[in-house]
Amino acid sequence: MDVVETFGKTVDRQCDRDPAKGRRVLRAGWEAQLFRFRHMPVKALMPAYQYLAALMMDTMLKPLRDPGHSAVVSIFTPSQLLQEVGLSPYNAEAYSAYLLGSRCEHSCILTAEAAGLPETLCSYHKIFTGAAEKGLLPRPRCIVYTNLTCDANMLTFKRMERFFNVPAFFIDVPWTQTEADVRAVASQLRDLGRFLEDITGNKTDEKRLMSRIRRSIDTMDTFRQARRLQKDKYIPTDLVSPQYGAMVNNVLLGTPEVEKFARMLLKDVKLAGPARGKRIYWVHTNPYWSDAMHKALYINESAQIIGSDMEQVVYPEEMAAQDPYEAMARQMVFNHLNGSVERRIQAAIQQAKETGCDGAVWFNHWGCKHTLGGSALAKKRFQEAGIPCLVLDGDGVDRAHGGEGQTATRLGAFIEMLEDRNE
Amino acid sequence: MSENRSIDHRSSDHKIHYECKYTPVELIEAFGGEPELLNRSSDTFRQAEILGSPNLCGFGKSVIETAIDEHIKELFLVNCCDTIRSAADIIADAGDTGFLYTMDLPHCMSQCSRELMTAHLEDFAMRYGEHTGLTFDPDKFRQAFTTVEWPDGPYIAVIGARMSDELFEMVEKTMPLPCRNLSCVRGRDLGASRPPETDDFHRLMDWYAGELLAQTPCMRMEDVTGRKRLFSDPDLAGVIYHTLKFCDFYSFEYSRVKDDLQVPMLKIETDFTLQSSGQLLTRLEAFGETLRMSAGARFSGISGKKESRAPEGPAAGPACSPEDKPGAAAAPEAGTGPEAYSMLDADATLEAGKKYFAGVDSGSTSTDIVIMDEACSIVTTVILPTGAGAENSAARGVAAALEKAGLTRDDLAALTATGYGRGSIQMGDSQVTEITCHARGAHYLDPDVRTVIDIGGQDSKVISLDPSGSVKNFVMNDKCAAGTGRFLDNMARTLEMDLDQMSQRGLEYKEDITISSMCTVFAESEVVSLIAKNKSADDIVHGLNKSVAAKTGTLVARVGGQEKYMMTGGVSRNRGLVKALEEELGCELVISPYSQLCGAIGAALFARDSSIR
Repeated sequence: MDVVETFGKTVDRQCDRDPAKGRRVLRAGWEAQLFRFRHMPVKALMPAYQYLAALMMDTMLKPLRDPGHSAVVSIFTPSQLLQEVGLSPYNAEAYSAYLLGSRCEHSCILTAEAAGLPETLCSYHKIFTGAAEKGLLPRPRCIVYTNLTCDANMLTFKRMERFFNVPAFFIDVPWTQTEADVRAVASQLRDLGRFLEDITGNKTDEKRLMSRIRRSIDTMDTFRQARRLQKDKYIPTDLVSPQYGAMVNNVLLGTPEVEKFARMLLKDVKLAGPARGKRIYWVHTNPYWSDAMHKALYINESAQIIGSDMEQVVYPEEMAAQDPYEAMARQMVFNHLNGSVERRIQAAIQQAKETGCDGAVWFNHWGCKHTLGGSALAKKRFQEAGIPCLVLDGDGVDRAHGGEGQTATRLGAFIEMLEDRNE
Repeated sequence: MSENRSIDHRSSDHKIHYECKYTPVELIEAFGGEPELLNRSSDTFRQAEILGSPNLCGFGKSVIETAIDEHIKELFLVNCCDTIRSAADIIADAGDTGFLYTMDLPHCMSQCSRELMTAHLEDFAMRYGEHTGLTFDPDKFRQAFTTVEWPDGPYIAVIGARMSDELFEMVEKTMPLPCRNLSCVRGRDLGASRPPETDDFHRLMDWYAGELLAQTPCMRMEDVTGRKRLFSDPDLAGVIYHTLKFCDFYSFEYSRVKDDLQVPMLKIETDFTLQSSGQLLTRLEAFGETLRMSAGARFSGISGKKESRAPEGPAAGPACSPEDKPGAAAAPEAGTGPEAYSMLDADATLEAGKKYFAGVDSGSTSTDIVIMDEACSIVTTVILPTGAGAENSAARGVAAALEKAGLTRDDLAALTATGYGRGSIQMGDSQVTEITCHARGAHYLDPDVRTVIDIGGQDSKVISLDPSGSVKNFVMNDKCAAGTGRFLDNMARTLEMDLDQMSQRGLEYKEDITISSMCTVFAESEVVSLIAKNKSADDIVHGLNKSVAAKTGTLVARVGGQEKYMMTGGVSRNRGLVKALEEELGCELVISPYSQLCGAIGAALFARDSSIR
């Protein structure tokens, strides 16, 4: 039994006896991991990704250290308003991924399913709900969520509102991209600002908020430049960095830390050597826990992930506006995952081309009906665009939906196929 | 605005298919269109699984299948869920639908949402008019509004995810009370209000948007407090809560209401096909029996079962006192095979003129027969494999049991059939589902039992009993093999051992391995990779036992299981699994020497009841 597995079992055992103790053990383990990321980073990774791993770990720890200054959020909730009133994002999807990394996800899934949650629910939501209801997660100050862009949001966060008995705010985002839609969302975001002011007692300074928005736009711009420049470069990449990128570019967008990461990434890319190996553009989350994935794509010169659609769900020009609330509304309304599957596919194809990939993987995360439903169409569209596409079934955080043999065979054969194309 | 994909061809037939209760049906009718609801179950999803994915909800797949296969000309979709959002793209790409309109439905009831909804309705009206050449008629619009009328008196409500019309027909046939389909789209109700007297189209649409959004909300909406009225009607006698595989919305509601609802509730899950109609029928009939027994006194209008011949009237628990049970017989230990039961026979004395009653449990792997006397003492038992035909096996089994007991068919005053094959057994006098029979049998064997865990070859069930032995609640696994005897059979084959070896090997583990996959295919792959890592077979078997125990523990939690637990079914002979399950539940399981005969015992007791009545 390895260290992480022992840690997970200890957290589970302690949580069963006394949830507060379970939380303390979890926090201690994560603090140790943060220390490791800061002082003993994975040397094969570039400085930007080393910094990113520590930044994400620290972000995860904030709600455990001070839950009264945290707000449970779904991944596509704009967090600039939370940052202004001093609330840390307590992101449901990221928590589930870290609980998996700590090997205590299985008991959370069982807790959720025993409570009657469906087996087919997105595992990110199931783990978060199970962890909260078994007492492993602390009570936040409030919850802010949106329908963007997952049905499960409408279920999980309402349930969490009742469970934690805290105020919640919902942002209803229409699925089309008209100016009326932007106005409707901007109006809700103004209400959100007042909601957050009321519950924290902190005022939102509009000038400061606008400068956060400008920083958000600059960050996305720098990030996009880095990914474009990466077209001809080799960047050693593990499996989690693209997912960290997705997290920070959403829930931490607007912070100086993410701006710093984007700049570091751009610098690293400029200094990087020429491209090598097969370059995979990844759509949606990835099963980073899988041995088969690890073998195929973990810091591997012969094949690596070079970008993910979740890192750039909106382009800087799509967000630009004079009013901060309108800019955040645009950030939501123009999110590439909002609306039809066709819209999402076209955005992914555009990014895949920009990053100069050899092939794309459309990851059918179990429970994500939008991704599953669009998979065959995505494969067709990618191929029409001249990009080979593998539809890979699996689960980002639940080993039960894995099928290691299948993952290894499909991924291996796809990479072999890409290699054959160039011969 | 919402999305519209229109191909430039006009049709004279203005049938427009729709799927959601927020569809502006009255607006379509005001144009002279003919809205037709898509709510029929499908036999196959060939196109949908090629163009979409197998792992989508069956209804979404049926929409794709129907639109493409039947060349639907006009289709109105609402972006009610992620599956329908994808379905719209798939149909637009692969189908030849001339007019496909997808309306964006707000999640809230705010003024802002109403304005957006009004704009969507106006947009649709413009596009539909352009496509069909038809015009809006305000009089037709007003005439289109009708009020849903329900008969007075107690009723059973179907609530939850959409139920296909075919399944609802099955529900109506099996329930002892009138049924109302209030699930998803069938719960459409705009109330009794009528459009304002104005020809101003914008004002009409503004009013209409408000009415559409004010319906009893579906679970996709942000504020679902209005759904409470579905569960609080004083005439509500029972609820059949329906969930659809891969539609997650309603499982959340079920999980919230299941412990607080004051009337009996049955949860069933389907994939929008009738492929598991046998299992569904068992559940529905068992629920009908429960209602008849527990609610008969409460609702005078409750009627007899329409098709099967189950005993009627309120339940009084077992007709015989627990003292009448054959407790004096030497009991073989758990883990022994069926042959051991022969020693339990003949603990009752045969007397001329005495009446005897038979229970036949026709299961997927074995047919079990119990003959009982008037004092509820077991006279004889027989277990034989179910062959090709349930009727044949039952006839052979009954003949063998009669011969063993020295009786003839004329000595049997009544015979009750239970199990999957009960419908095929013509010689029976009545049929009762295995759920009710297992509960009755378990109570007979040990009146302190409150939860029965039955893991059989084909399915697993957990039944919660009240102190009188009546069914309080029950759950069954879905149609996949996870957590059933078949799962263990497959794994034993992969490990190249027989079931007896598996029963023993699971007790002797050293490393505590966790096997995450419950899907038989994935678990097999996980086991193969553990073998490749040189993990010992004992440890792997223990991991598998833990995995089945965890799945069963989930079912127990769902049913609100309490001690004492009795385990029945063939898998109760697997010692390793029993131990894992005891650890999971934190208490000992009662494993009666009669565990495999529990259903047949219950059936024999019901046969006795029916004869006495």
